Amino acid sequence: MNAAAEELDPVGLSDAAPESLWTKGLYKFRRDRVGMWSFAVVLLYVGIALGVWLGFWATGWADLAGGKWEPVSGAHWFGTNIIGQDIFDRAIYSTKTSFEVGLVVAVLATALGAILGAIAGFFSGSWLDELILWLMGVLDSIPFLLFVAAIAYTLQSIPEISKYSMHIAMIVTFWITAGRLVRGEVIKLKEMEYVDAAHALGVPEYTIIFRHILPNTAHILLVQATITFVAAIKSEVILSFLGLGVKDSMSWGLMISESSQEVLAGFFNNFLAASVLLFGLVMAFNLFSDALQDALDPRTVAD
Amino acid sequence: MELFSYSLRKLATGIPLIIGVTLVSFLLMVYFGPDKTFELVGKNPTQEQIDEIRAQLGYDQPMVVRYLDYLREIVTLDFGNSESTGERINALLARTIPVSIAVALPGFILGNLLGVGLGLLAAFYRGRWPDKMIMGSAAIGMSISFLIVIIAFQIILSSSYGLNLFPVRGWSVDSFGDYVSYVTVPTLATVFVALGYNTRFYRSVIVEETTRDHVRTARAFGVPSLQLYCKLILKNCLIPIITRIMFSIPFVVISGSLLIESYFGIPGIGKVTYDAIITGDQPILKAVVALTAIMLVVVQLLTDIMYRWVDPRVSLK
Amino acid sequence: MAEPLLRVRDLAIEFDTQYGTVRAVDGVSFDIYPEETVGLVGESGCGKTVTGLSLLGLIPKPPGRIAAGSIEFGGRDLATASEEELRTIRGSEISMIFQEPMTALNPVFTIGNQMADVLARHKGLTDSQARTEAIEMLGRVGIPSPARRVDEYPHQLSGGQRQRVMIAMALSCNPKLLIADEPTTALDVTTQAQVLEQINKLQEEFRMAVILITHDLGVVAETCQRALVMYCGKVAEQAPIEELFAQPRHPYTAGLLSSIPRIREDRPEHLPIIAGRVPDLLHLPAGCRFAARCERALDRCQTEQPELGEKTASAACFNPVPV
Ligand SMILES: Nc1ncnc2c1ncn2[C@@H]1O[C@H](COP(=O)(O)OP(=O)(O)OP(=O)(O)O)[C@@H](O)[C@H]1O
Ligand SMILES: [Mg+2]
Repeated sequence: MNAAAEELDPVGLSDAAPESLWTKGLYKFRRDRVGMWSFAVVLLYVGIALGVWLGFWATGWADLAGGKWEPVSGAHWFGTNIIGQDIFDRAIYSTKTSFEVGLVVAVLATALGAILGAIAGFFSGSWLDELILWLMGVLDSIPFLLFVAAIAYTLQSIPEISKYSMHIAMIVTFWITAGRLVRGEVIKLKEMEYVDAAHALGVPEYTIIFRHILPNTAHILLVQATITFVAAIKSEVILSFLGLGVKDSMSWGLMISESSQEVLAGFFNNFLAASVLLFGLVMAFNLFSDALQDALDPRTVAD
Repeated sequence: MELFSYSLRKLATGIPLIIGVTLVSFLLMVYFGPDKTFELVGKNPTQEQIDEIRAQLGYDQPMVVRYLDYLREIVTLDFGNSESTGERINALLARTIPVSIAVALPGFILGNLLGVGLGLLAAFYRGRWPDKMIMGSAAIGMSISFLIVIIAFQIILSSSYGLNLFPVRGWSVDSFGDYVSYVTVPTLATVFVALGYNTRFYRSVIVEETTRDHVRTARAFGVPSLQLYCKLILKNCLIPIITRIMFSIPFVVISGSLLIESYFGIPGIGKVTYDAIITGDQPILKAVVALTAIMLVVVQLLTDIMYRWVDPRVSLK
Repeated sequence: MAEPLLRVRDLAIEFDTQYGTVRAVDGVSFDIYPEETVGLVGESGCGKTVTGLSLLGLIPKPPGRIAAGSIEFGGRDLATASEEELRTIRGSEISMIFQEPMTALNPVFTIGNQMADVLARHKGLTDSQARTEAIEMLGRVGIPSPARRVDEYPHQLSGGQRQRVMIAMALSCNPKLLIADEPTTALDVTTQAQVLEQINKLQEEFRMAVILITHDLGVVAETCQRALVMYCGKVAEQAPIEELFAQPRHPYTAGLLSSIPRIREDRPEHLPIIAGRVPDLLHLPAGCRFAARCERALDRCQTEQPELGEKTASAACFNPVPV
């Protein structure tokens, strides 16, 4: 038995208790206190976002509800902004925006990465693989902000989708990491016996890839999706601040953008409200993502 | 000689990347991009005026010709003039890139040095409280948006609501003292943001290395910890470290400090790029994209050569 | 008999795993006398490597630790010695070589560099002295043209040569004890024999004791004077080689021996393998750990743990194989 194999399974548990990766993962995750707490915080944010989406609260985010720069009060929990809009409502409403961006980008980018990565991995060495690798290299080499801008230009003439140019740009760049991971994993998995068996039974290649191999990378995809989610909401803030992101809506990035002049005049409410909520969500999601990775990683050597 | 022919071959294999990057950007920005004719012609233009402007902008040429033109610009490293200011782009680059490097370099170096240092420390104390503290701080650092960091540092260090030690924004550097006063806040912000990611990355690389057999051998022969970590393990980790550092260089030099520069109003290439994005100044954007791709290919070559330098197992084939 | 060089008593080594604490080595005692070769044999995972590592204080901690016992060597207890103290012993008084020659050397330093480092540290040699010495040692372990080889990197050597380099490095400071952890397992058969022969030859020249960890009983028969048989973290039996092979007392040893084809005179159709499986360290039985697989188990074996006697030939068994 070599050292690596010992690390994997120091006490031979895998034979003793043939648990699946997911059962084991759930068990480990449930015992991870930081993970559970961060998950609870994430759920709280989900609740807030759902409430906004269902119209339970923060419906008045665009109303002129008071005077300029009102301080914190019972009526305006975080005060009001320069034109008298309620900062609390705007900050809460932005949670929904964040989730929208995060979910759309995380799900679609991960799915795209899974599909292209699986194809590249399964046909590794072929022209198809070369092509996908080349595409990854190319998209990785275009400065992100420029790419977002370029996509925005392109879509300018199609108003129905032009407001999603930020989402599209993120999906088109963020799938690459997932794609690389899946490709590597599929190259390993396709050597497994059950794949040979499926081949021998005459199962079509695409069925093998998507029904038999890809599901075995689900744990990688789940972790990667959470990482992409965080990357997306962080990018949204910066893009919106730069004027390349959210339009005709509200987001923490836009709030921070509004506040960048205000703070020099000594009014911090807008900045603090957006920053604190953003930080809370990103931090919780990061910790959740770490815990998930620990729980689902069959080898926890690096920690 | 071997090195030379290797370099040529390596650069040649970079051509598909350069073609891909430029083609994708060209299609998005130019082919599907906005038509600027009507921004440039005056009111009630005559057909001749329109045609003249279109000819000036190259719109009368077929797309293939325009793309080949772009490739010619890249090969000759002559990107024409800016559409908004008319300045020669090469002059613009020569003026702004040094500023960008001056702004980004201290933060880049500090961020990586400190990252490696903290990574070593955390790996050495793996599982014990210094590790937990360092990694906890890294997790917090990674969760704070770059934007928030910049604004918070500005408030704390440069505004009258804070310590008011440094200029709020701008860049008028005539002496080293000026340089320090203008570069400090951007540098601190960059380091703050990069440190979490760097430390985490370097720690995991180092921890991975500590599980290798040769580390056990070294310990079995009485190598002291300091030498073990700072010499034996670190040298083995140089490949991932060099890779990370080298491949971030093109983005740092060409556009990485875009947010910093546009926020602080620093006249570097990042700000120029941002302005070009906003105004749709295609020649500048095309130059920036092409330069980034070229630099990436060059960096790839340099990185390969450095690999051989630090790892005897790597040979240039 | 002379004073033992190394006296291990009731050694216990624990690891924290995610499912609880496991005792990988539990109450192991043995003596090593100067200049003898002792085989440490047992199935994979029975705790041989961990025992070897503990003698140098090399148990990775966390997650591991020496939970109990003492390791007396040269008037000190290595189980409780400080890291500083251990460091002066490692590679100078006690050396260890490992199973994996391919990865045991540092890939980015020349072998001369790595050897000289050890010499400079423990013998206080200057760089050029250390280099000369390294070249000489390489010659003694049978590396051809050592003056050239000294500047090569590990990947430029074959597996057998790398293991020889490890041996040269291990012996360069004249250790009193060499722990060789499966030094030949990763090598092909001819190289195995050469390397073992080399170790044997050098042992006589350097007059050191050797603990040879292996699961190859053939190797033990050829090279050792004594052997300790480990099972699941405990010593099952210890005996001089001739006795051990002629009349094993512990049923586990007997089982091991009968599973080696060449030691038997008749050639059975099937190799007898010991039925059942090693208990996992988290769920150990109350009694003898081998009881579940033992044909000779008594009721007592299920509830009580047999102890190993103090004698040089003894088995931890309530119902040993009769002589
Ligand atoms: N780092 C570790 N963490 C947890 N458990 C460990 C660790 N190292 C060893 N162990 C446990 O100690 C036990 C003994 O391992 P050891 O490596 O000593 O076996 P061995 O007898 O040398 O086996 P092999 O013949 O395979 O080398 C193993 O069952 C393993 O579970
Ligand atoms: Mg072992």
